[in-house]
Amino acid sequence: MTTLSPARTLGLARANATLVVRNKLTLTYAVVIPLAPLLLLLVGDTGDGSNGAGAAAIVTALMMAALFPVFYNLLSQLVTRRDELVLKRLRTGESTDAEIITSLALPGFVIALATALVAVPVAMLLGQPAPLNPLLYAVTVVVTLLLFAAFALWTAAWTKNAEAAQITSMPVILLAVLGQVAIGFPDEVRRFTDLTPGAAMTDLVRVSWFGFGTDDVERTLDLAGTWSAAGQPLLVLVAWAAVAVYLARRSMRWEPRS
Amino acid sequence: MTTSAPPGPHIEVRGLRRSYGTGTTAFEAVRGIDLVVEPGTVVALLGTNGAGKTSALEVVEGLAPPTDGEVRVLGLDPVADRAEVRRRTGVLLQTSGFPADLTVGETLRMWSATMTAPRPVEDALAELDLTDRVDVRVRSLSGGELRRLDLACTLLGEPEAVLLDEPTTGLDPESRRRVWDLVAGLRDRGCSVLLTTHHLEEAETLADRVAIMHAGRIVREGTPAQLGADHPSTIRFEGAAPAGLPDLARLPAARRVATDHGRTTIESHDLQATLTALLADAADGGVRLAGLEARSATLESVFLAVASGAHNDDRALEGADR
Repeated sequence: MTTLSPARTLGLARANATLVVRNKLTLTYAVVIPLAPLLLLLVGDTGDGSNGAGAAAIVTALMMAALFPVFYNLLSQLVTRRDELVLKRLRTGESTDAEIITSLALPGFVIALATALVAVPVAMLLGQPAPLNPLLYAVTVVVTLLLFAAFALWTAAWTKNAEAAQITSMPVILLAVLGQVAIGFPDEVRRFTDLTPGAAMTDLVRVSWFGFGTDDVERTLDLAGTWSAAGQPLLVLVAWAAVAVYLARRSMRWEPRS
Repeated sequence: MTTSAPPGPHIEVRGLRRSYGTGTTAFEAVRGIDLVVEPGTVVALLGTNGAGKTSALEVVEGLAPPTDGEVRVLGLDPVADRAEVRRRTGVLLQTSGFPADLTVGETLRMWSATMTAPRPVEDALAELDLTDRVDVRVRSLSGGELRRLDLACTLLGEPEAVLLDEPTTGLDPESRRRVWDLVAGLRDRGCSVLLTTHHLEEAETLADRVAIMHAGRIVREGTPAQLGADHPSTIRFEGAAPAGLPDLARLPAARRVATDHGRTTIESHDLQATLTALLADAADGGVRLAGLEARSATLESVFLAVASGAHNDDRALEGADR
């Protein structure tokens, strides 16, 4: 990988942030949707998190942060900029390919990270416990966001235009949500759905923040226990990220599909 | 100084080929071209749509690797030495690409942020007469204004070598003149400029050398004057050859005589000699040549001949002459 020039990347990211703010729909998707699930904390239990409602609200907020400001936003920015020939124009300048992509992802990435960060005091104010293993929580957030950014690059490669993104985004969105809705599925099915990125992320949040063991809604893990319980879902998440980055690198397009 | 180009041409293209697709759908857009652009000169790549100009230029720009052949810009490989080459070259693509919702000022500041040594944004705005438009969104610009914004970005880093793909297409005559002045200014500063165009006047006015591209090859190359000199001048008059004149084909330097659509055309490679003899014959015979006109070869006639495929005949004729 090439190193990024901070000045170039931030200069481009600033322009991209301006564009996100200027488009009301984009801004709504990017900011409101990830923050809204935190409101669920108001109606869930306000005790020690012992019916899992708090965990569900936080998992949903993070998933929405990965899906909208990062995945969907990056996807639509990439496709729009590609069709406007902005990407091609930028590549005639000094910016490297990595800087161009990073600058496009950065505004949504910052919003998603802020959501993950804001979730901590908001949840604690509303009666949820503090994260048990903040480092593991942070790792979960970063790996998840990187994974969905890579999914956006790959999806953009076969998305005809910004409108088509409403359809082409569905496979990744379904893949993300499947893990969460599968909690009620029979065990034989869940053995497979546990391998989805959504399920792995859900497990990691429950483990890192709440110390829940498998399927428990009570804290059964200590700090050391969270690391060992995190092994498998972390592996699943990293494996998906590796696949997504590989696909994205292979399929990256800089000019409109003819 | 490490940034100065090594002595020699700024842009050098040898045996460049570029193909699209593979197998039965493969198409070779550029079929082995050579080009040299010396410092302080302007070279125009002229051709019809689909001749391969943009395909060739994209390789020089480093946007695509050559299928075969070699490209050197400032002595460097535009793909392998991308960072160094980009810092010292300015590129204008055939179609401008800027986000529609940024203003002119925001666009230039964004571009400036990506550069190692940009000029002040205000200077670039003033140079391209965009100062009044600084707060206007890109989507509201006219075609000419958008092209000028694009050029402002191209020239923001004071490039040594400049690659312009159809810089004046879609511009009104006044904007076109302004761009021509700008290009002339670049040449006077010692920059090398490689541009594509299908405006013959543009090539004739700006270019030190012209290369005419047709079907992926350079079929003619030289100064505008040389290209014209290669090509026959024409004498025309209305009607068939009058009875009072000797055989037109025996006029000095006449190459071809044809009568169609009620007009007679004499091609000549020495217009003055042919015309003098023709007029003398006409005076002797008391013949009046209606609608008489005589023209030196222009780039236009060279270009039209190439575009219609007639250059093959010309080559054959030239060969026969020698």
